[in-house]
Amino acid sequence: MNPANYILLSALLFSIGAIGVLVRRNAIIVFMSVELMLNSANLAFVAFARMNGNLDGQVVAFFVMVVAAAEVVVGLAIIVTIFRTRRSASIDEPNLLKY
Amino acid sequence: MNFTPPAIDYFALSPMIVIFAAAIVSVLVEAFAPRTIRRFLQLLIVFGALLTSAVLIVLNAGTRTVTGGGAVVIDGPALVMMGTIVVLSILGAALMAERSIDPVGDSFAARASSLPGSEDERQLTQRGYLQTEIWPLTLFAVLGMLLFVTANNLLLMFVALEIISLPLYLMTGMARRRRLLSQEASLKYFLLGVFASAFYLYGAALVYGYSGSIFFPEIAQSLTSKPSESIVVFIGMGMLIIGPLFKIGAVPFHQWVPDVYQGAPTAVVGFMAATVKVAAFGALLRILYVAFGGVRWDWDPLIWIVAVASMILGSIVALLQTDIKRLLGYSWIAQAGFILVGLAAASPAGLESTMFYVIAYGFATVGTFAVISMVRDANGEATNLAAWAGIGRKSPLVASALSLFLLGLAGIPLTSGFVSKFAVFVAAIEAGATWLVIIGVIASLIAAFFYVRIVVIMFFAEPTEQTASVVVPSAFTTISLSAGVAVTLILGIFPQPVLDMLSNAGLFLR
Amino acid sequence: MNVYTPIFILGALAFGFAAFSVVIAGFTGPKRYNRAKYDAYECGIEPTPQPIGGGRFPVKYYLTAMMFIIFDIELVFLYPWAVAFDQLGAFGLVAMMLFLLNLAVPYVYEWRRGGLEWD
Repeated sequence: MNPANYILLSALLFSIGAIGVLVRRNAIIVFMSVELMLNSANLAFVAFARMNGNLDGQVVAFFVMVVAAAEVVVGLAIIVTIFRTRRSASIDEPNLLKY
Repeated sequence: MNFTPPAIDYFALSPMIVIFAAAIVSVLVEAFAPRTIRRFLQLLIVFGALLTSAVLIVLNAGTRTVTGGGAVVIDGPALVMMGTIVVLSILGAALMAERSIDPVGDSFAARASSLPGSEDERQLTQRGYLQTEIWPLTLFAVLGMLLFVTANNLLLMFVALEIISLPLYLMTGMARRRRLLSQEASLKYFLLGVFASAFYLYGAALVYGYSGSIFFPEIAQSLTSKPSESIVVFIGMGMLIIGPLFKIGAVPFHQWVPDVYQGAPTAVVGFMAATVKVAAFGALLRILYVAFGGVRWDWDPLIWIVAVASMILGSIVALLQTDIKRLLGYSWIAQAGFILVGLAAASPAGLESTMFYVIAYGFATVGTFAVISMVRDANGEATNLAAWAGIGRKSPLVASALSLFLLGLAGIPLTSGFVSKFAVFVAAIEAGATWLVIIGVIASLIAAFFYVRIVVIMFFAEPTEQTASVVVPSAFTTISLSAGVAVTLILGIFPQPVLDMLSNAGLFLR
Repeated sequence: MNVYTPIFILGALAFGFAAFSVVIAGFTGPKRYNRAKYDAYECGIEPTPQPIGGGRFPVKYYLTAMMFIIFDIELVFLYPWAVAFDQLGAFGLVAMMLFLLNLAVPYVYEWRRGGLEWD
């Protein structure tokens, strides 16, 4: 199969993730959309590694997975703290800081 | 298949290794040391590691090498940036170590997981618990910054970006007072930060797809050697620089800056405002000058737009602010624009002036936040400008120090800010961007207005009953404050030695 | 075909052992039934405590999930090393051991700070 299709798929996933971040209200869903963006980048890296014929892209994919996991943990910690304080995970509600 | 281990120059990497080892030890101290001596041990580890690292950087002054399988490059500009980051971290950590300003302890929540306003929180505060997790986080953030300015490939730069960001997201949310603001700032910083990292990463994937390598020198080679330029690589480059531009806080990636400035603990803002900017400019310079140095004409317009937008938006919105921390947040955005003017020159002069600017800016910023942490009323820090009326009559010394920093940021002669603004504008004119400099000068005039306004409020307004008082700090804050004053004056009156050092540091190793 | 013989033998042994254990347990095990025996995991704890009020789960689940994620994903680095550890030689071994050592540090921290206790 033509690897270029995978690049198109990854671009599609990246866009879905980016739109998800911009339009969703729940912090957890926003966060999942970001993870989708990171993983679409992973797919692009692996597909490009195949096209370029070297392993750099696959190595990057490994590291990105681990970094994404670390990000999940820090992000959940922050979201859970906010949730316990405000009893809500909506990102519209924290609005003390403005202008 | 034969595997040969990559040659690793451990001495060249030692400044990072020391910080990393100290961070690990610091986590173990958190795990095993009894609560009573934890703070003492942590301070010992943090300041010991930062000082050792500074000494090792000085010993490495002549090192020019690419090591670690090509992933890390130690060259002149990298060493200058590393040294600046470590010294500013020492001053920032001193602000965080301050304990005598707030009567109940330091500036961090006794336990970050306790609910704001709960009985739990009240008891922990009453027992005088101090939170020491802030120290390993600080060390990890410093490690990330050192790697960020020395990274020679897209992967290490991404990992370093995350090592900087993750601790800072957490530190932002740990303020002892006004915890709702602090947590909100943390959430916003986090969500926008990971969004920007995702763009960086996808851009990296596109650049890798075009050039077949993640190493900067090879990317540069493929850009010059391939016959046809592909649109993919320019989309990739545009997405790639979103990562550092977000950390810099340039428009349109600036929304988090005022929120984090206002919400985060003042000491943490002092630390990160100074150091992260150095690190992010180091990385941005390396991406644009090393990897994309050959296609300067393609990225210059991007940087121009970002610089103009940052200067104008930052200066004008800052005029309307009533909270001093938020005002400084917008002033950071404007300053980012000024520095980008120098960066856009894409010449050796551009590199030197950018580095000089971030150094001068870093020291002035640490000092500014040292002063802000000292001005308090019954509810903690008095950040509303109304509370600053007439402070200069009550405590002339502290108010003069702050005035010096603010005039420095405004770019008044005899301060570091004047020399640095002059340097970036000259670099831009030499590169032919005179129109950019004209906009820059106009924006500096607007910016000077709000900096001077604070000085006027402090010295020429009558003190009211709202006026806050200035608390006498311990040696920690005093040292940071004095260092800030000294460097701002020395770089303003006698900048030549530092300028010489920067030109001796030479260019990026390719 | 020769290359695969050990794999087949291993598979046969594993299958044989599993089948043997299941069958022999049916013959030799004591058969005393009580309420705990009928629970999903036979350990006396309700498998999922019902969420308290409003259909939400206690925050402890998040903590456990977070710990799982962090330690689980880090092991992804072990896999490439395991595939090629004989070629990577001493350098790879030392690097991997250092990595595992560093990974043990947060685990120790977690354990000492009570992150592994359920209540």
